[in-house]
Amino acid sequence: MFILASVGSATASFLANICAGLVGAGLIAYAVLGGADFGGGVWDLLARGPRMEQQRAAIAHALGPVWEANNVWLIYVITVTWTTFPVVYASVSTALFIPIVLALVGIVLRGAGFGLRSQYARNAEMAVAWGYIFNGASVIAPFLLGALAGGLAGGHIHVHNGVVSANYWTTWTTPFALTCGAFAVAICATLAATYLSVEAKTDNNLPLAEDFRIRALLAGAVTAALGALAALLAAFESPQLWSGLIGKALPLSLGAMLIGLATAYALLAQRFTLARYLVAGEMACILAAWAVAQYPYLIIPDVTIGNASAPESVLLAATLASAAGMLLLLPSLWYLFYIFKARPHDAPRQTAAQLADQGYRLAFPPTEEPTSGRADH
Amino acid sequence: MSNLIAARAAMGSTLAFHIIFASLGVGLPVLLCVAEGLGLRNGDTVWYALARRWSQAFSILFVVGAVSGTAISFEMGLLWPRFMGFASSVIGTPFAMEGFAFFTEGIFLGLYLYGWDRLSPRAHWLCSIPVAVGGTASAFFVVTANSWMNSPTGYTAVNGKVTNVDPLGAMFNPGTPSETVHMILASYQVAAFAVAAIYAVALLRGRRTTYHTRGLLLPMAFGTIVAPIQAYIGDLSAKMVAHTQPAKLAAMEGLFHTVAGAPLRILGIADPNTQQTNFSIEIPKLLSWLAYGDPNSVVKGLDAFPRADWPNTLLVHLAFDLMVGTGALMIVLPIWFWFLYYRNGRTIPESRISKVMLWTAVLTGPLAFIALEAGWMVTEIGRQPWIIQGVMRVADAVTPVPGAGLTILLVFMLIYLVLTVALVYLLLRLARQRPKAAEPDAGAGNSATAAQA
Repeated sequence: MFILASVGSATASFLANICAGLVGAGLIAYAVLGGADFGGGVWDLLARGPRMEQQRAAIAHALGPVWEANNVWLIYVITVTWTTFPVVYASVSTALFIPIVLALVGIVLRGAGFGLRSQYARNAEMAVAWGYIFNGASVIAPFLLGALAGGLAGGHIHVHNGVVSANYWTTWTTPFALTCGAFAVAICATLAATYLSVEAKTDNNLPLAEDFRIRALLAGAVTAALGALAALLAAFESPQLWSGLIGKALPLSLGAMLIGLATAYALLAQRFTLARYLVAGEMACILAAWAVAQYPYLIIPDVTIGNASAPESVLLAATLASAAGMLLLLPSLWYLFYIFKARPHDAPRQTAAQLADQGYRLAFPPTEEPTSGRADH
Repeated sequence: MSNLIAARAAMGSTLAFHIIFASLGVGLPVLLCVAEGLGLRNGDTVWYALARRWSQAFSILFVVGAVSGTAISFEMGLLWPRFMGFASSVIGTPFAMEGFAFFTEGIFLGLYLYGWDRLSPRAHWLCSIPVAVGGTASAFFVVTANSWMNSPTGYTAVNGKVTNVDPLGAMFNPGTPSETVHMILASYQVAAFAVAAIYAVALLRGRRTTYHTRGLLLPMAFGTIVAPIQAYIGDLSAKMVAHTQPAKLAAMEGLFHTVAGAPLRILGIADPNTQQTNFSIEIPKLLSWLAYGDPNSVVKGLDAFPRADWPNTLLVHLAFDLMVGTGALMIVLPIWFWFLYYRNGRTIPESRISKVMLWTAVLTGPLAFIALEAGWMVTEIGRQPWIIQGVMRVADAVTPVPGAGLTILLVFMLIYLVLTVALVYLLLRLARQRPKAAEPDAGAGNSATAAQA
């Protein structure tokens, strides 16, 4: 009996770790892909210089087809968390209610602002208004998500027998948490500027690529400074995270620093594509270092992967569902990014848009629409 | 306002908002897929023109559906953490699957909306299929979780914690088959009758082109197929409610007293104080027959349950009748339409009766949305005071954070109000525009630059 029970619990513990890994992987995907969409909003806000409008157009062009899909990574992270670690979701939603609501407002307004601004393209004032909403939300959302992460690692959220106690304000407004928020905004901006420089280069718009390359370098420097500050503050405010970062996660911490330097080199050397992969790797490495440093804690100091996981059958179902889902998802994502982000490939001889245009002309012969020109300009 | 009432108002209003866009996100892709498929097969480009126009409207609607859906996944924890702490391991698996279904829809929708001038006609049409399948699958998975709240199975509770979770057993609870299909078909009906209404307006304004006629024919055909199936599924759903949630059935039917040979009451004011349903039309024994297949069977009235456990009878009964009445209209309208259409040699006649029919079609559009909301109110308000039928009360599920409900209620009402105004403006502008070639779809990459890239 004893042996059976321990075998059962070993499986459960293994599955719980797998599920925590799935949450972590989902977060990294969201950060690398969705983070760049937030960063796009930051650069939209900071667009300036002779190519200001080109910068904004490039951002809109880059985000358009992919931001909705990128946003789903967040939903994946949330659903897997609540399924496999119900206590975590319930406790975090209570303890960090305020920043979550604010981040949510940011996420909703970012999406709506971006989507609606492009629809209002022909109504200048409305486009500007929705543009500001898109910009502002793009700064607020990653800032609060970063502060949330800082709050989780701060050690001020206590959970006993499923009852949460935490200060609704001070938990996420410590210097460490706020620095994490600023760091999140800076690294999202670095990601976005690097990706955008590659896309401008692909379109053979070299001055624009240069704009974004310089922005990536500047944002990268700010990111490095904020990262150093956050690490310093962690040593005082979140000793457990800090000892993990210089302990078991040391290879990843050093890796993050080295990749950061390599990214700076790639940008300086105008190796755009290399820089894109490196900066994505940088983001992934930082989050992985954090995750390993905090392991096995989900919320420091009370909640661990072991004591918060759902029953084994649930962990197994979530793992299998994720595996099956990924088989469907990864090829689809590859196709999406291949069509919109890969090097230009030959346009098809005939496109669906051409057929639709023919259809319009067939349904509405030109003589029938004398006023169409006015409606359009 | 107590935190509980505010939290219920917040959840109810944000769901009522989201359900509109979510349903269109399930239904419209089917129309897009069929219209473009017809164009591809017959080489008939007018179908393409229609599909592209719908895709422009859909790109606006989908944004709002996606962001309001993200909000709801957070709100579940923000407003009902004790419910999520208890139940989320049981109902989480379908939510994770919903994530993947929605992922598929989102990815291929990106390809579809922005791929008009990047993809070959065949590849573009093929992209519409995973959008439609993903949308319908999302609806299925999400509604399994709601149906679990109505008829929870697949776990045992020990000391307020769930054990022995059988994720598939929870997902395929007794309510699942009828409730999921009912919701999916409702989404199809909403999309079909909303689009039909728009082209009915165009036809009434004398735009009798092939383009506008087809814009009415296709959704009308879709609605014709779906509406009678919906009546059948709705009946199955009500029988399941009779079985698993007798108090909800009693509220739906305005039945206060347990009785053999219960009558079906149409309309009327179900007053919980006098325990009478006044001013209703009664059809003797029909409810007993509908619920249990025997005109003399006993149907439990609300008196079989403690007074504190009654849902709001007035609201639930009228919402139910509103839904059923609109459902009936959605069966009759297509029959009327096809009768006039075929009698006139397969064209829509210009007679006065045809105008009345078209006006009815115009009205059915908004009514379909109202029926959708009414049906949702029946299932949610009818379950009160429970959040999980017979297991957990909403009062025990609500967040302890002070002012949480009111905060979310006010913040999201404001955001959604602004979004609604912006959307209505955009959709009206889109409707007023003459369909025109080379329209930038989603604004970001207009056709010319995208074609060069």
